Amino acid sequence: MTEPYDVIIVGSGAGGGMSAYTLTQAGLKVLILEAGRNYDPATETPMFNIPSEAPLRGTSTPDKPFGFYDATIDGGWNVPNEPYTIAEGSEPFMWWRPRMLGGRTNHWGRISLRFGPLDFKPRSRDGLGQDWPITYDELAPWYDKVERLIGVTGRAQGLPNTPDSPEGCLQPPPTPRAYEQFVTRGFNGLGIPVAAMHAAVLTQPLNGRAACFYATACGRGCSIRANFQSTTVLLPPAMATGYLEIRANALVYQVDLDRAGKAKGVAFVDRITGEHHSVAARAVVLAAGACESARILLNSKSAAFPDGLCNAHGMVGRYLMDSVGASASGQFPALENLPPTNDDGMSVGHIYVPWWGYEKQSRKELPFPRGYHIEMGGGRSMPSMSLGAMLSRTDDLSVGAALREDARRIYGSSIGFAGRGEMIPNEDCYTDLDPQVKDKWGIPVLRFHWKWSEHETNQAAHMVKTFLEVIDRLGGTPVPGYQTDGKKAISRGGEIIHEVGTVRMGQSPKDSVVNAYGQSWAVSNLFVTDGAVLVSSPDKNPTLSILALAWRSADHLASLARRGDL
Amino acid sequence: MTTTPYVSRIDRRTTLAWLGGAAVAGLSGGAAATVIAAPDIGGYGTDPKLTHPLAAPWPRLMTPAQLQTAALLCDFILPASADAPAATALGVPDFIDEWISAPYPDQVRDRPVILAGLTWVEDEAQRRYQTDLLHLARNDRTALLTRLTKKPSDPPMAMPYAFFRTFRSLTVGAYYTTRPGFKDVGYHGNVTLASYPGPSDAVKAHLDRELKKLGL
Repeated sequence: MTEPYDVIIVGSGAGGGMSAYTLTQAGLKVLILEAGRNYDPATETPMFNIPSEAPLRGTSTPDKPFGFYDATIDGGWNVPNEPYTIAEGSEPFMWWRPRMLGGRTNHWGRISLRFGPLDFKPRSRDGLGQDWPITYDELAPWYDKVERLIGVTGRAQGLPNTPDSPEGCLQPPPTPRAYEQFVTRGFNGLGIPVAAMHAAVLTQPLNGRAACFYATACGRGCSIRANFQSTTVLLPPAMATGYLEIRANALVYQVDLDRAGKAKGVAFVDRITGEHHSVAARAVVLAAGACESARILLNSKSAAFPDGLCNAHGMVGRYLMDSVGASASGQFPALENLPPTNDDGMSVGHIYVPWWGYEKQSRKELPFPRGYHIEMGGGRSMPSMSLGAMLSRTDDLSVGAALREDARRIYGSSIGFAGRGEMIPNEDCYTDLDPQVKDKWGIPVLRFHWKWSEHETNQAAHMVKTFLEVIDRLGGTPVPGYQTDGKKAISRGGEIIHEVGTVRMGQSPKDSVVNAYGQSWAVSNLFVTDGAVLVSSPDKNPTLSILALAWRSADHLASLARRGDL
Repeated sequence: MTTTPYVSRIDRRTTLAWLGGAAVAGLSGGAAATVIAAPDIGGYGTDPKLTHPLAAPWPRLMTPAQLQTAALLCDFILPASADAPAATALGVPDFIDEWISAPYPDQVRDRPVILAGLTWVEDEAQRRYQTDLLHLARNDRTALLTRLTKKPSDPPMAMPYAFFRTFRSLTVGAYYTTRPGFKDVGYHGNVTLASYPGPSDAVKAHLDRELKKLGL
C-alpha cells in the first residue's frame, strides 16, 4: 500500500485492534503503528511450561513483574528507555505498559463485564462525576456484537445494573470449582448473590477458534486462540482483508496537522534504529492506551494548540481514573484434605460477586457512593513459590513426613478475595508532561498526579470488611497482611491497570475532548478509541467497553469516509 | 539422611556461560518529580524466551562448601519418602544458589540471610561436635538442625531461626514446583480436558459435610 493511507491507527491492543478490524472490513487502507515488537502467540506462548523450567521458578521480578511466563514483553511497571515521573507531593501512581503487538490484550485478566444503565449516568444518579453522552441502550448493540465476536462466558441472572445479554451472545460458563461452590454458600449466607463469570474465554469453538482445554493460565496468552487477544481474534482477520499494514517498534509521539487544521499524519521514532519518520493518512486514530494517547496529544504542539492538540480547555490528561482495589485472603479448614482434583478450569474465576449494594446506596446507608465487585482466586492451582510462604505461617516449622503432610493439607485450602471498585474522577488525579524529563529519544514524558478521595478509601475499607465477614462465616482464618484502614488497604493509583478517562467524551467541547464517537471536537479527522474516552470508571473491568466503544467509533469513522466527510 | 557429598546438578558448561553473562548498569535520576525508570540490573531482561527458557544468566555465588551445607539442610527438610524423591534429587540446593545469586531486590534481600545462616550452621557443628555437618553422626546432625525448627526464646537463636524459616520456605517452594512435587502435593492439572467437569461426587460430599457443620 502507498501513502497516504486512509487511516493510521496508533496502537494494536483492544482499541487499536478493534478499530483495525472494523475499518479494514469497510475497505479502508489502514496502517497500524505499534510501539512494541511483533509478537506471535502461536509460537511464543509458554503452553504447559511449569515453574521449574524457568529462572527462579517463574517468580515475579522487576523484569517480569507478573512472573516469568506472563505474556508481557519489554514492559510492566517500567519500560526500558521510557521513564515517567510522579509529581512532588502526589500519592504513588504505577503505569503498566507492554511493548508488543496486541498490547495488554495478550496478558489481561479476560474479565468482560458490561457497564450497566446507571454507569452511564453517574451524575444523574448521585450528583458526582459526569454523565456520558450515550446511554446503555445506545451501546448495548455493540456489546452484543463484541460478545459474539470475541466469545464471552456468562449467564443471564437478572441482577441490578448488571446487564443480561440477549440470547445467543454468551457462551456457557464452566461449572464452578469446589472452592467456588464453597464460597458461594458463604456469600449467599450473608445475603450476597454470586454470578457466573463473564470471561473472554471460549467454552465452545467459535469462528475457527478452539474451545479452552482448561490448562495453561490465560495470562501467558493462548496459542490455541481460546481466549481473546487482539493478536489472535482481531488482527488476523484484519490482515486477511489485504487492507492492513502493521509497523512494529514505531513509537508515535505527535499528530501532524495540515494548514486547514486537519490531521495529516503522525510522527514516530523507530525504537530500534532511533530514526524519526512521518507518515500521512486521511484520518488518525489514537489507541495507544489512555495515558500514552494523552501524551501524544500533549506533545503535539502548534501555533493553534500551544498546550497540546485538542487541549484548548486544558482537559487532555484530566479525569484520570483507575479501579479501586483491595484484597485479603483466608485459609479454610473446611477445604483441607479435599480429595485431589483438577482445579485448573479456565484459569480466571468461574464466578464473581457483582455489586449488591445499589439499594443501600440509594438510601445513603453506605459511606461511599459507588459499588465494587469481588473476584476470587484459590483451589488447587499449579503450585508456585508462594506455597513456601503459605507453609511458613506457624511458629514451629515442620520437616520431613510432617511437612509433606502439612503441604498436602494446606495446599488448595486458601481463597484470595480482591475487590474492584468504581473511582469518581477528581481534580487531583491527572497527567501532564514533565517539564524536564525526556525519554531516550528526547520526547517529553508523562508526569502523574494522584490522590484518592474518601469515596474510594471508604469503599476499600468496606471491601476488606466484607472479605473478613465471608472468611469468618466459612470458618476460615484471615491470612495476616490485610489492612482494615481504607487508606492503607487501597491499591496504588494505576496498580489495577484500568487507567482511563484522560481524553473523555461528552456532549459539548466545553466539557470534553471528543464527542460520543471518540471524534475530536477540535480536529474532525482525529479519533480516540482506547480507554482514554471513558467518562467514568465503573467497577466493571473496562476492556469489553473499550472494544464496544471502539467498534462503534470505527464504524462511524468508516461511514464518514464512505460519505467523503473525513 | 545422606553422608554422601552433594554433587551439583548443573553442568560445567552452564557454569562457564554464567560467568561470562553478567552486566550491571546505573540508575537514571534528576528532576523534582520522582523518576520511574527501568535500570538494567543484569537479570534475564524484559524479553526472555518463554517457551524454552534459558538458564538464569547470573553467576552463582555459593562456594562448594556452602552448597554442601545447603544440600544437607534441604534433605533435612524434605528427605525422600516412600513415594517421592529427596529435595537434593530435584536439584533444590542449586535452585537456592540461583535464588540468592540473583540480582533482583527480593533475592538480594535473602542473600545475606541465607549465606550467614549456612555459616552459622557449620560454626555450630564445629563448636558442639568439632566436625562439619557432612561428617556429623546422623542423630547429632538431626539434633543440631531440629533446634532451628522451634521458635526460640533465647535471642541468640533468633538469627538462625529466621534463616531456617527463609531457607525452608525456598526449599518447599522449589520442591513443589517440579513434576514430582506436583504429584506429591496432589496437583492434577496442566493436562488438556475436552470439557471442565467440576468437582467430583467425592469432593462435593466432602464440601456438603463441611458446610453443614458451618450451618450453610
